[in-house]
Amino acid sequence: MELKLIHFYPDLMSLYGSYANVALLARHLTDLNNSVVVQTVRPGEDADLAGADFLYMGAGTERSQKAALADFLPRGEAVRAAAAAGTTMLFAGTAMELLGKSITDADGKTYEGIGLGGFSSVQGKRRFVGDVYGSTDLYEPAVVGFQNKCSVISGVDTPLLTGCAMGFGNEREGGPEGFHSGSVFASELTGPLLVKNPLMLGAVIASIYRRRNEAIPAEIPAYPYEENGYAITAQQLKLRAGQR
Amino acid sequence: MRKFLAILVCKLGHFVGKFIGKGSSMPGQVALKICPDILSRVTLPEHIIAVTGSNGKTSTVEMIAAILRADGRTVVYNEEGSNQIEGVTTMILTHSTFGGRMKADVLLIESDERYAAHSFRYFHPTEFVITNLYRDQLTRNGHPEWVYDAILPAIHPDTLLVLNADDPLSSCFANGHEKVRWFGVNECSISSGTPSGVYHDGAYCPVCKSPMTYDYYHYNQIGAYRCPSCGHAKPKTDFTVTDVDLGSGELTIDGDVRIQLAFRSIYNVYNILAAYSVCRCAGVASETACRVINNYILKNGRMVRFTLGGHRGTLLTSKHENSIAYDTNLRYIRESNTECTVAVIVDAVSRKYFTSETSWLWDIDFAQLDCPHVQRVLLCGRYANDLAVRFSFTGLPQEKLELHPDITEACDSLKRGGSEDLFVVTCFSDRDKLLSQVQREPV
Repeated sequence: MELKLIHFYPDLMSLYGSYANVALLARHLTDLNNSVVVQTVRPGEDADLAGADFLYMGAGTERSQKAALADFLPRGEAVRAAAAAGTTMLFAGTAMELLGKSITDADGKTYEGIGLGGFSSVQGKRRFVGDVYGSTDLYEPAVVGFQNKCSVISGVDTPLLTGCAMGFGNEREGGPEGFHSGSVFASELTGPLLVKNPLMLGAVIASIYRRRNEAIPAEIPAYPYEENGYAITAQQLKLRAGQR
Repeated sequence: MRKFLAILVCKLGHFVGKFIGKGSSMPGQVALKICPDILSRVTLPEHIIAVTGSNGKTSTVEMIAAILRADGRTVVYNEEGSNQIEGVTTMILTHSTFGGRMKADVLLIESDERYAAHSFRYFHPTEFVITNLYRDQLTRNGHPEWVYDAILPAIHPDTLLVLNADDPLSSCFANGHEKVRWFGVNECSISSGTPSGVYHDGAYCPVCKSPMTYDYYHYNQIGAYRCPSCGHAKPKTDFTVTDVDLGSGELTIDGDVRIQLAFRSIYNVYNILAAYSVCRCAGVASETACRVINNYILKNGRMVRFTLGGHRGTLLTSKHENSIAYDTNLRYIRESNTECTVAVIVDAVSRKYFTSETSWLWDIDFAQLDCPHVQRVLLCGRYANDLAVRFSFTGLPQEKLELHPDITEACDSLKRGGSEDLFVVTCFSDRDKLLSQVQREPV
């Protein structure tokens, strides 16, 4: 297949190695004998979302997030249409908040989101920073990662993580985290979420294939470093979570 | 009475604490419990110089102390590295009389950037150097703009800010502040038309978030920036590196002050310039400052020479979770042009807190090791697999990479053969795991 991945605001929303998610996804899709094009979109640049197989935005500072939102809001209708058509998308870190109804900053100013999800984010002066060890209903093994956010998100009915043995969920310590609806994946887990979670990467790839009505090849390459990296982190976090 | 008691307990606690390794923070912590406003009750020296920022604090403070002492001043500073309010309190009270008068001409403070506002609640620096603000220890710091917001309340209107003109973010501290002196590096042999590093934090203006342009870069977002939208731009400098030749190791300040570099890196140039600038602001003659920092070898132990088997080794201590610190050392290795093996160790991400967070590996420009003189790279420690995934995106040929989750096994492998130079890049949290297995050379 010829696949197009769109990476929104790679400089503006680039905290914590966010680019690694796209880089690794492109590699895996290429290894599955696809021809992959990654299109980067900066503020003010055009993007044909209808022709895309994957939309991505990474984490940014709270100020960068507002600048990204100003450019992204007019694209809201196209993004919602793409989601309705089954286009796979991942919004990581503070980018997740753009998908909701609104974002209220620490000074109390409220910004309109694109309304793909029915949730609202309220940013504060306190930061929730730390490792995350959670569960998802996408697969059985744990989800691992790291969060670095200052938002409490309310109104998510379909979270990506059903609970966190370690970490602050959307609204509370240990609670459900992120947002997942059909082909839309969103999480405040920052950085290379797909690198750290090979099964989450697999779920994203499966979603991309599903929209194309294609089956994933029976023989898929092995990635032992990624698997081992996940296993060690999961082991460390499980131990830590057990001590709580 | 509470003041006297706090000083007495702090002095005693410091004396006893030295024997149990808790002499730097704990006595100050106890003193603050006895007398919470003790820092407003002591008489401090005429000059209180503080240094904060993401990188270069320790090196800059060490050089400032050396220059001021050469100028005949009595300097007290937190050499033990405790840079939060408890450590600062210990330092001040243990160097004070029982009446509460500090016995020094200069109080020099390396301040933790996140806690600066807390440390300077009861007194404020007369000169405040802010070296830079980068991505650093995101497990503690969030991100650079969060740190900026944390430092801002620490800045008193009477404080003279000594700022890095080449950093678009930390230069914003000058907005609305009257007393500012600037240091910076002119366009010279090290300047480039493109930014270095994996990410580009200088792409957007920190004030208005519009795209910025650069006349030149020195590294990452450091350079001559200009925002066409709001006008935020590199200001005119008061203390200026007018020329740098890293090949010969010479830098020139303000056209006529020539300094030989013991450690030939652009980051060292900025540290030297920051130290020089604040000392000049504090009244030190240019000749005195120059004499001290000429060929100055830092004593902070971040670079260690050793032998391991047939290898002559150099440990370059970086900070995990700090991509610029890593990039500094990787650039040093690349520019060494020495046939070498490089070992990167990530075993414990931090010695102070638990985390399995490794996303910072993706912010490090490991592709700098993709050069002919780097013969192989050993990826060592618990997170060797994460390193291997990261390195698979650097362009380094797979046959140059070796995985050694066990650090002892990596050392044994090096002992078994080879005589090429060895560079080891790791953090304070992991370096003793190497140093316990090598023969150190005297500094």
